Amino acid sequence: MDAAKPQLMDRPKAEAQHAASEASGAALVSALDAVLGVQADVALDAVPVPHRRVERWKYTPVAAWWKDVLAPDVSTVADAGCEANPVPGLDAYRLVFVNGTFDAAASDLPVHTGVTCMPLSQRGDAKLQDVDAFSPEVSDWFAGLNGRYSQEGLYLRVTQGVELDRPILIHHHTCGAGAFNVLRHDIAVALNASVKIVQWSTATAGADGSVNILTRADVGQGARLHIDKVQDEEGTVRHIAFEDIRQGRASHAEVHTITVRGAWVRNDLAFRINGQGAHAELNGAFLPGEGEFVDNHTTVDHRVAHCTSSENYKGILYGKSTGVFNGKVFVRPDAQQTNAYQQNANILASEKASMNAKPELEIYADDVKCSHGCTVGQFDSDALFYARSRGVGLEAAKAMLVHAFIGDILKGFAVTEVRLEVEHRLAEKHGWDVWNDHPNDDA
Amino acid sequence: MLKINALKASVEEASILKGLSLTINPGEVHAIMGPNGSGKSTLASVLAGREEYEIEGGSVDFDGADLLDMDATERARAGLFLAFQYPVEIPGVSNINFIRAAVNGKREHEGLEPIKGKAFLDMVKEKAQLVELDGRLRNRSVNEGFSGGEKKRNEIFQMAMLEPKLAILDETDSGLDIDALRIVSDGVNAMRSPERSFLVITHYQRLLDYIVPDFVHVLVDGRIVRSGGKELALELEDKGYDWIKEDIVA
Ligand SMILES: Nc1ncnc2c1ncn2[C@@H]1O[C@H](COP(=O)(O)OP(=O)(O)OP(=O)(O)O)[C@@H](O)[C@H]1O
Ligand SMILES: [Mg+2]
Repeated sequence: MDAAKPQLMDRPKAEAQHAASEASGAALVSALDAVLGVQADVALDAVPVPHRRVERWKYTPVAAWWKDVLAPDVSTVADAGCEANPVPGLDAYRLVFVNGTFDAAASDLPVHTGVTCMPLSQRGDAKLQDVDAFSPEVSDWFAGLNGRYSQEGLYLRVTQGVELDRPILIHHHTCGAGAFNVLRHDIAVALNASVKIVQWSTATAGADGSVNILTRADVGQGARLHIDKVQDEEGTVRHIAFEDIRQGRASHAEVHTITVRGAWVRNDLAFRINGQGAHAELNGAFLPGEGEFVDNHTTVDHRVAHCTSSENYKGILYGKSTGVFNGKVFVRPDAQQTNAYQQNANILASEKASMNAKPELEIYADDVKCSHGCTVGQFDSDALFYARSRGVGLEAAKAMLVHAFIGDILKGFAVTEVRLEVEHRLAEKHGWDVWNDHPNDDA
Repeated sequence: MLKINALKASVEEASILKGLSLTINPGEVHAIMGPNGSGKSTLASVLAGREEYEIEGGSVDFDGADLLDMDATERARAGLFLAFQYPVEIPGVSNINFIRAAVNGKREHEGLEPIKGKAFLDMVKEKAQLVELDGRLRNRSVNEGFSGGEKKRNEIFQMAMLEPKLAILDETDSGLDIDALRIVSDGVNAMRSPERSFLVITHYQRLLDYIVPDFVHVLVDGRIVRSGGKELALELEDKGYDWIKEDIVA
């Protein structure tokens, strides 16, 4: 048994092999510690800076700029303010963070029996969830940075059986030059409780620097967590986000990610399914335009029997943009009767766009149902000609096909207002008039 | 209305249309018949502006404009319509949104505002009745899972919505049952007018009993080899194509 035991998610070992000490930026880190007044309790030098030789960073080069992340302009403050509620008409609790600082005036915290919800910095003695051997902090340099420097975020506890009546909208806003927007959200949803979270990231046109958000969620037995995650950042910020989701028995967790806009975006999701009968769902769509880069790395770790996971990512790449998808699915020896589905479909809307897609299934149990598919193609020329032969313009015809292509992803959003606003923003970004008016969509 | 002169076209190096000429005046109905693979659908696609086809010679005048100079969208907006032999399925795009985009494309070309919801739905209702299109098909994805006959009705429904100047119907009769054939033909006939012309591609004389053509042409090997009145269709039904092919060789 031991011999066959997989080295699951054992990321640091491989990476450590090529770690050169000065390449970890130790000097820059201690300088930043001093600037930010941080008492370092997370050992960063154990985790090397991402390097192309490491599989997880093969298509996502950071060599040219990782040092910039460690030299932010700390005078960049939250003076530009934040746009009003990014989702008009949405009735939600709201936490607003501008450049990593909680904006109390713009926020509206839930006052609800059985719900503890506050900015992380105000939690007092309340403990955060443990970082364990499988947490991203111990294996990923950016997550390590987050662990070292994050001092703010959402602290949320939902007690047994409580269903929060409205979604919680977490708005991350970045503005100014050299931003260092580091946040950590720590969520625990207890037995049979349920909560919907919307994470919405924006940045102003002049913003640069980095955004680093780590969300750790414990989804207890029979509990439900639904996260709608929207990335719509102007400027040139580099955005990296981690989701570290731990699921208990018969729990249900979903993360839906849409990247509307973003110069450089990496999402790194990990679902650990620890209890039988649980279901994990992770869907995403990304539509990078000229010069944009979007990377979705996902890991679904089936550790116990009788669980299901469903994953569906779709990309449409415009101009000279680049997309990366890497979907790991582990089915451990004990995870019999697993049903895991993974799909990644991509359309290259431009000859200059490129997509690197890699499904990775590692299955160590024999009685399982796992399927996956991965495609990279172009727009369907028959459908385009058909639409044009009816007088629909070429761009409008493509926009219709895009809407159809990512329709299932959009429908997955838990909050209708979020979907409508995302559609509106995509239409605006790409100039898609035909999207504006769909009277029968909801019929 | 349409003046095709010595049109030559090829696809993937194979020449399909080999000098085809045809003139259609306003209000006329022309039928084209011809053996499988003779180039009928190719002619329809070339006229509609499918870019895979290479134009190697000749000219096409549509209502005073150079048709070959326009792209597919412009041709449609100028009033040309093609009912496909094999209508395309577009999963995820609802039939109703599809036709709305088409109607609005045409209106934009005419300098009109997008059509209002109520006016649009009234129009859909009226035109769907014309071909007795099942109301449930409106909200389904374009042609997806439609039966063969439903697809063909949907083509004629779209034609009715767009009110073209020239409609090319490529084997609209294939796949229709006997009742549907009559219904669809009635729909087409209701749209006949002194300003509107039709080019009807078919293999069967039966359709021409319903949609009575002014002229019948026989297309063989990329050329029109014989033209006549509606009785030519009867003759073809009777004798097949061999006698014409023999005539050409002779
Ligand atoms: N895209 C293509 N690539 C290669 N060959 C093609 C293509 N399109 C048409 N052809 C060929 O051109 C010829 C004419 O085809 P076309 O579809 O125009 O015939 P048709 O007269 O409509 O036949 P049918 O009565 O069977 O519908 C055929 O030999 C066909 O195989
Ligand atoms: Mg044909």
